[in-house]
Amino acid sequence: MLKFIGVRLIQMSLLFLVFLSLLFFLLQAQPGDFSTQFLDPRIPPENRDLIAARFGLDAPLWKQYLTYMGNVLQGDFGVSFQRYPRTVVSVITERLPRTFFLFTFATLLSYYLGFVLGKVLAWRRGGSQEMSITLGGVLLYTVFYPWFALVMIWFFAAYLDLVPVNQFLTPLRWRDAPFSANSVFTSIIWSTLLLSIGLGLALWASRKPDNETQRRLVKWGGVGLTVAVFLAFWMPHEQRTYATDIAHHALLPIFTLALVAFAGVMLITRGSMLETLKEDYILTARAKGLAPKTIRDRHAARNALLPVTTSFVLGLAFIIGGGLITETVFSWPGMGELLLASVLTQDIPVAIGALAMVGALALIAHIIVDVMYVFLDPRIRYQ
Amino acid sequence: MTTPLVEDSTGGLKTGDTLLEVDNLIMRYKTKQGYVSAVEDVSFVLHKGEALGLVGESGCGKTSVALSLLRLQADNGEILGGEIRLGGKDLVPISEDEMRRHRWNDVSMVFQGAMNSWNPVYRVGDQIKEALDLHWPERLNRAETRQRIGDLFALVGLDSDAQDRYPHEFSGGMRQRAVIAMALSCNPQVIIADEPTTALDVIVQDQILKELKKIQADLNMSIIYISHDIAVIAEVTDRTGVMYAGKMVEFGDTGDIFSAPRHPYAWLLLSSTPSIVGPRRKLAPLEGEPPNLLDPPSGCRFNPRCPFATDQCRVEEPPLRDIGDDHQVACWNYEQVPVGITSGSVV
Repeated sequence: MLKFIGVRLIQMSLLFLVFLSLLFFLLQAQPGDFSTQFLDPRIPPENRDLIAARFGLDAPLWKQYLTYMGNVLQGDFGVSFQRYPRTVVSVITERLPRTFFLFTFATLLSYYLGFVLGKVLAWRRGGSQEMSITLGGVLLYTVFYPWFALVMIWFFAAYLDLVPVNQFLTPLRWRDAPFSANSVFTSIIWSTLLLSIGLGLALWASRKPDNETQRRLVKWGGVGLTVAVFLAFWMPHEQRTYATDIAHHALLPIFTLALVAFAGVMLITRGSMLETLKEDYILTARAKGLAPKTIRDRHAARNALLPVTTSFVLGLAFIIGGGLITETVFSWPGMGELLLASVLTQDIPVAIGALAMVGALALIAHIIVDVMYVFLDPRIRYQ
Repeated sequence: MTTPLVEDSTGGLKTGDTLLEVDNLIMRYKTKQGYVSAVEDVSFVLHKGEALGLVGESGCGKTSVALSLLRLQADNGEILGGEIRLGGKDLVPISEDEMRRHRWNDVSMVFQGAMNSWNPVYRVGDQIKEALDLHWPERLNRAETRQRIGDLFALVGLDSDAQDRYPHEFSGGMRQRAVIAMALSCNPQVIIADEPTTALDVIVQDQILKELKKIQADLNMSIIYISHDIAVIAEVTDRTGVMYAGKMVEFGDTGDIFSAPRHPYAWLLLSSTPSIVGPRRKLAPLEGEPPNLLDPPSGCRFNPRCPFATDQCRVEEPPLRDIGDDHQVACWNYEQVPVGITSGSVV
């Protein structure tokens, strides 16, 4: 297993270098260049050449490529043209937590809710309730997402006035803030990640005891304890008001992204569950006299989970794309918004850096799912 | 004295006492086109320690009978009449929750195609443990559970350690053996073996059947065998019911039925089956197809294919009548059926 992970890591690193090279040449192949976009057209040509030479842009492309790759191996992705003299790495480290936050919570929420609702739908197949929820799922799944996001903003922010319209924080409130927004983000990410792990552990542990009362006790006790620890951490925390400000802003984008992703997960789970329910081992489980809920959760849903996990990897690109649209529509200054802005302004170093980061995340997600499979399906063993 | 591995849970019934009675069972599947009459007015009695066979071609309602006994028929299947009395208690009217307590505990099943009757993501032992946790009178701890499963595995010829393996690590024969062990796990009164060996190659088939037969004799089990394979039924059962289009057409001692079938269908079925013992004979084909159960033929359901059919057969449905020697036939003209299996073209 360790050997497998090692081999996969090496493969992924090589793949990443190939991906990066492709990115480099593709983005260089765009019409126009740095000098037309960022330099005053009135400066004399010799000065223009001098500036280009200072950035190494006068060298032939292959030489630029070798220099770039050499720098990348040392962790240097160059400087941003737009935000000169900030480095690409510093721009990305500023933006990444914001996107990670949005993306992770929307994904966790949509997969959890989608899976739970999907399995119940398949189990209660045939009713008018099931029909209407499935229809709603198809609608959400096929809706034109940018339009849907605008409708959500109009309804929840403008019409009901429940959440702020845009941005990820209220600038006025942060003017004299003693910490950077990013340090607050980091606290939020870590604490909520620990919270979800705690909740997951509580749910997992609640399957172990044999009788229903003990299971309930472990489940709600565990959930209560985790939430209590979470609150105990945040209530006296000096960043609390700032964190709630960010959370308030994050609510709508997370909800919107999760809603659309959720519909897809629900439909896939439903389909996969309907397949599983036809299997012979479901009949065996019924013949054994197991309770319907046990058959649904322990036998059917457990097996239906496998295709859903696969769909997660395949749907990754969709979620990243959705993230880009979400960030743009909600003016959420994350990676997606950065990527779009850098491509539009020909800030090539930032564009390559942002795309490389997205690629790296996708590759890491693949490895994680590969490893998860071993635990989900005993038939899968890597040599 | 140590308690036997599989205990007699029938409450002191003696061999030959009535254990399970099925009376005029009617089960139909509701479809958009109407009711499919899968089990029509089927009655039989299973005695303690007896091996009973149900035989017939695919779609004749054998498996529907088996599933109805546990009330496990598909969602659109409805038991519309009749009684299923286990130890005198009718299982048809009781609630689903109460029925769940009887499943596996009193009537367990060895399924058709044991290959797929295991959930691929759980260890074989854990899947048996699930049944024990549910039905065993007292709580078994981990070691006791392992011990019990190990003993059951030994009974069917598997290593005790095999319980830690996943179904895909088993061969087909091993999976079927483990299924039998699981069926025995909760001391059932009745085991229903639905095509227990169909998916296996003949060598393994033979081993499994011998194993089952031995277990049945040793433990004095009551088993209902369901198969389309006449050879299997002939080998392992004491009494046999022949089913056609949802009806029981002949019932009696296995030896009698196989040597001298009285119902034209049973007679034709046996005449169309090759045998490697006895003189060489020409096989008689069984013409036609089983009827559409959405709209079964009037009168006797076999009349369109029957060489002995008369006008009465086309109008009036023959009841299952006693013809002596505990032998029952549903046919108006059974006297015309030649005694013994004959060869060549019919009539």
